Amino acid sequence: MDQKRFSQRTITEDGRLMLAKSERDGVETVWDRLEAQQPHCGYCELGLSCRNCSMGPCRIDPFGEGPQQGVCGADSDIIVARNLGRMIASGAASHSDHGRDLVEVLEAVADGSAPGYTIADEAKLRRVAAEYGVEAEGREAGAVARDLARAMQEDYGTRLSRLGLLSRAPEPRRALWDRLGITPRGIDRETSEMMHRTHMGVDNDWQNLLLQALRNALSDGWGGSMIATEVSDILFGTPQPVASRVNLGVLKEDQVNIAVHGHNPIVSETIMRACRDEALLRKARDRGASGINLVGLCCTGNELLMRHGVPMAGNHLMTELALVTGAMEMMLVDYQCIMPSLGQVASCYHTQMISTSDKAKFPGMEHQEFHSDNAADLAQRLVERAVDNFGRRNPDKVSIPSQPVDLVGGFSVESVLQALGGSLDPLLEALKSGKIRGAAGVVGCNNPKIRHDLGHTALTSRLIENDVLVLDTGCAAVANAKHGLEQAEAAERAGPGLKEVCSSLGIPPVLHFGSCVDNVRILVLAAELAKALGQDISALPLAGAAPEWYSEKAVSIGAYCVASGIDTVLGPTPPVTGSMNVTGLLTGGLEDLLGARFAVEPDPEEAAKWMLSRIEGKRKGLGLDGR
Amino acid sequence: MRHLILGSGIAGLQAARAIRSAQPEAAITMLGREPDPLYARPMISHLLEGSVQPSQLELGLPPEVRLISQDEAVAVDAADKTVATQQGRKLAYDRLLIATGADPRGIGAQNTDLENIHFMRTKVQVRDMLEALPGSRRALVLGGGLVGFKAAYGFLRQGLEVTMLIRSEYPLSQQVDPITGGLVRAKLQENGLDVLVGRDVARFEEDGSGRVRGAELTDGTVLDCDVAVVGKGVLPVTGFLQGSGVDVDLGVLVDEEMRTSARDVFAAGDVAEHFDLARDERWVNAIWPEAADQGRIAGLNMTGVPARYPGSLSRNTIRIFDLDLTTCGLVNPPADSGYEILREEDPGRGTYRRLVFLGDRLVGAACVNRIEHAGVLRSLIGSRTPVPCPREDLLRESVHPGGLFPFSR
Amino acid sequence: MRQVVVRPERCVGCMQCMAACAAAHSQSGALAAAIREYPLPGPRVHVGSGRYGEGFPNRCRHCDPAPCMTACLPGAIYRDGNWDTVLIDPSRCINCASCAMACPFGVIRYHRDPWVSPGRAVAVKCDNCLHRRAKGLIPACAEVCKSGALTFQEPDRAMKRRTDEISRRTSGYVDQERSGEEAPGFMLLRQLKKRSGQLAESGRGPR
Ligand SMILES: Cc1cc2nc3c(=O)[nH]c(=O)nc-3n(C[C@H](O)[C@H](O)[C@H](O)COP(=O)(O)OP(=O)(O)OC[C@H]3O[C@@H](n4cnc5c(N)ncnc54)[C@H](O)[C@@H]3O)c2cc1C
Repeated sequence: MDQKRFSQRTITEDGRLMLAKSERDGVETVWDRLEAQQPHCGYCELGLSCRNCSMGPCRIDPFGEGPQQGVCGADSDIIVARNLGRMIASGAASHSDHGRDLVEVLEAVADGSAPGYTIADEAKLRRVAAEYGVEAEGREAGAVARDLARAMQEDYGTRLSRLGLLSRAPEPRRALWDRLGITPRGIDRETSEMMHRTHMGVDNDWQNLLLQALRNALSDGWGGSMIATEVSDILFGTPQPVASRVNLGVLKEDQVNIAVHGHNPIVSETIMRACRDEALLRKARDRGASGINLVGLCCTGNELLMRHGVPMAGNHLMTELALVTGAMEMMLVDYQCIMPSLGQVASCYHTQMISTSDKAKFPGMEHQEFHSDNAADLAQRLVERAVDNFGRRNPDKVSIPSQPVDLVGGFSVESVLQALGGSLDPLLEALKSGKIRGAAGVVGCNNPKIRHDLGHTALTSRLIENDVLVLDTGCAAVANAKHGLEQAEAAERAGPGLKEVCSSLGIPPVLHFGSCVDNVRILVLAAELAKALGQDISALPLAGAAPEWYSEKAVSIGAYCVASGIDTVLGPTPPVTGSMNVTGLLTGGLEDLLGARFAVEPDPEEAAKWMLSRIEGKRKGLGLDGR
Repeated sequence: MRHLILGSGIAGLQAARAIRSAQPEAAITMLGREPDPLYARPMISHLLEGSVQPSQLELGLPPEVRLISQDEAVAVDAADKTVATQQGRKLAYDRLLIATGADPRGIGAQNTDLENIHFMRTKVQVRDMLEALPGSRRALVLGGGLVGFKAAYGFLRQGLEVTMLIRSEYPLSQQVDPITGGLVRAKLQENGLDVLVGRDVARFEEDGSGRVRGAELTDGTVLDCDVAVVGKGVLPVTGFLQGSGVDVDLGVLVDEEMRTSARDVFAAGDVAEHFDLARDERWVNAIWPEAADQGRIAGLNMTGVPARYPGSLSRNTIRIFDLDLTTCGLVNPPADSGYEILREEDPGRGTYRRLVFLGDRLVGAACVNRIEHAGVLRSLIGSRTPVPCPREDLLRESVHPGGLFPFSR
Repeated sequence: MRQVVVRPERCVGCMQCMAACAAAHSQSGALAAAIREYPLPGPRVHVGSGRYGEGFPNRCRHCDPAPCMTACLPGAIYRDGNWDTVLIDPSRCINCASCAMACPFGVIRYHRDPWVSPGRAVAVKCDNCLHRRAKGLIPACAEVCKSGALTFQEPDRAMKRRTDEISRRTSGYVDQERSGEEAPGFMLLRQLKKRSGQLAESGRGPR
């Protein structure tokens, strides 16, 4: 395959080089499989196929001549709405279950049964505990942690009428949710109810289904994800600005390379500690390596980067290519976004693949289950095996492409406040004066249907040029970092107003806000801004984008953003266009209900225009100058 | 109306079929040199392999066609509208079709008249080869073209040691580029065939009883062999047309209706020289599908049903063990002549594709493996229209015909 | 005579026709059992993918004259005049793939096939489901296609419908129910896919 085809697949140099190598090495990648899948099934792309029951499966003819109802009688509106609801349920479940695992570790720490873990940010523990009404004053951290964990577990259940952290949302928004009947009651409950309602013969009003889908998404954004972020901070520390480096160039030819891939910091944190163990480092040197080089992939990588500056090897579409370097001694995975092909790719090299979660096993991987009681020991043993594996590396197969790019990560609500001198006022002033036109969240995954990293970087570049501050997370954050947008020097690439603000604060115009559950940091910041202005979130000059999204989690994120009042533009088209009613509501009608809506726009340049016009429109609505 | 067809090959047969379908009553006479009933010529190599029975090659004539076999035309009198034959027949016609095909091209080596040195063009010749097989151990095949190939494959299948001798640097040099040729050569060698390139036979050696025993090559090497086949291409059979008033270049010159320069005389098949759609010049493409098509078109025009022949394209499909190869049009254009080449090799899947463009047109294609869509490329070359999609798309294994041609049925 | 008429603009790429075709040409005749047969049955209709992932149901057009027929060296390809169908006689086919070069649509495949030749690879292509027709059934691909990309009807009627569609469009009257081009969600999806495909091709970078 020629270079042109590679560069149609990715804008990154390391990606192109490794694609060429993967072809030489006979390794199939996600792009090859996408090609093999063409054409995709149109019923499924339109959301018009239904496999929910065994009177079916059914599909609706979009042209109107064939069947217009499933066996049960569901029409295209109902089927599309049900399918979308189930996507959101899966996405919300994923984030929330990730959060649950953290709460369980928190409880185990409190009980003293998690030897590898501690409470790293006691102040935050106490702050969050207070929000839950847990008595923190004068009590020992362990006791507070135990009560907080229990309170959070209550959020998962169904015994309450509203989630604990909803109090963070501005009053008008909460009132709106109540009015629409979409205030989330329990994290598991909403997912459970979504599944119930989409069972044959339950909810067959497409609008009613979509309302529950929004409530389910809110149970993620203001529930499961938010708990995941807060407990991660409590256990492992609240991020502070930290320097790091990104792209496959962070791999080291003369060191034992270990990658952690997945989402939760629970496993990766213990691996990180083992990688810094003196005895293991000595052993690595004995084996001829100059050190142990831990790198991150995807969101568990972001978690480590945010808190410790661990270098980042790449985002979702780079996970196979990271193995193709031939320089990886071990990759440990937990869950979410881990392509089941990885084991097969690794089998072409010496890389040892380890799965760590009882929830997620993969072909071609060795399963080593981590639990809070064995994590520290197991991490130690596995890193030792990675060190032993260094000798099996075949130098002829090694190729580490490109020079890594510098970045600053570690932005959180707390650290932004700190950077602003303890109050949001400077930011509000900049917004009001128009130096900063607004702020945008650029989030989400990679998707081989979109040229890798183009969506994120083109959109982000355009936004900052127009003085819009960008907060990014997940794969988007990694893409922008690779593109050099997360360094202070990138202020040069921003419009004059944003450049001035960034330069005076010494921050990049694009702030790395963490992993995909950390999108809630953006929500919290938006809520704080709204409260400071005495407004609802939907009135603020904010917008969100998922230019390269692929996963059900992203659908849930998009839905909770819109339900929270933030306009959101999606790159790839979600499977809803089979119902113009559903499509119309999502991209239009929602505005009347929620003050925000979706848009679909694969071209990042056009997406940027849409976001800018929405931001300017909201500025006018606030009585600020609009362009 | 009296139709006379010279030659009982596929061109003649297709003409007879077309005439019969348009004119159920017309008189059709076919004159053929060979003793065998009509058969599918390309299949004779399968006889050599032993993979088919002789009867499986037979082709049926349409009803009421008079077949005169084992006689040949020696002169045509276009003014008098008669044809004289070897056996002294004088055949009168209203419409005449020249479909005498081609004969193998001879070679310059010494002693080519020894026993067990064969051409492979007819059933008779293959029968002779089969008779020579018992007691033969080593076969020598001259020529790396299609016929050489099929002969070599047949001998291998019969358990002989086979050496293939090619004057150029790689097999199929008329059809393919060096990369494809290299793949083919490797595949042949992998399957036990000896391939010698850049050499030719200077002299055959006799075993003392009139049979071939070996060959001395142009570089002085001497090779043993008990049987040899010469596959150095073919030449149209036109000798009997001298003085007939039918214009002949390399082959018989024909127009779009397969008419020759003489009134009511048509020509079709390996003997005819028409126009090559890729090369943009007069050319003889001596291949089966073109012969069949030309025969059909000629037959229709002989009955007055207008039909036009757009031109021919060289093409080949060869399956060499597990390697599939198709070529079409101009695969090896002259260097520095404005042709552009696009190619893609995927060693993992064992595929290779080479496309030749002139301006905005596709003029040649070679595909190694995954050949199912080769016909789409052929019809694009034949259409002589600008490529309607980005060129790179044609490198894809499956070319989407929907985007290439206006949809029919 | 009724024929399978292809309207590629209606193909949603679900590939049900392929599965149904393979099942119809299996020993058992039923999908669930067919997928366990050896050799595996293969489809005669092939859903190809366009530049931007548009589906395209590709199937033998039973051309007349048929280029595959003239190109066939052993004379294995013939026309069944009663059914206006070009067929391959598997016992005569020598699997030489000459027809691959001849078919302008690329619809012939070469494999062992439980239906026509379990023991030996031969050329395989659409046979208009004549075995189903004999039982009064219509071709399997048209039977399962629910989007109207493959229909079984008189070619004349198909032509008329096509003319109607075009005239309706040019006269400004659009029959929402019937005209494929007007399925708005599907057209929107195609448009968006095309745009993202073009974006990748353009090689446009983030600047
Ligand atoms: C071994 C072999 C393999 C081949 N493989 C392929 C292949 O894979 N693909 C492909 O496309 N092509 C192939 N060909 C070529 C193909 O066979 C010819 O292109 C085709 O047969 C030409 O048909 P024709 O009717 O024009 O001529 P012919 O088949 O040559 O028929 C002409 C007939 O006329 C007779 N004749 C000659 N002179 C006279 C005369 N003066 N009077 C009366 N009769 C006369 C000849 O004896 C002969 O019987 C192959 C050929 C051979 C020999």
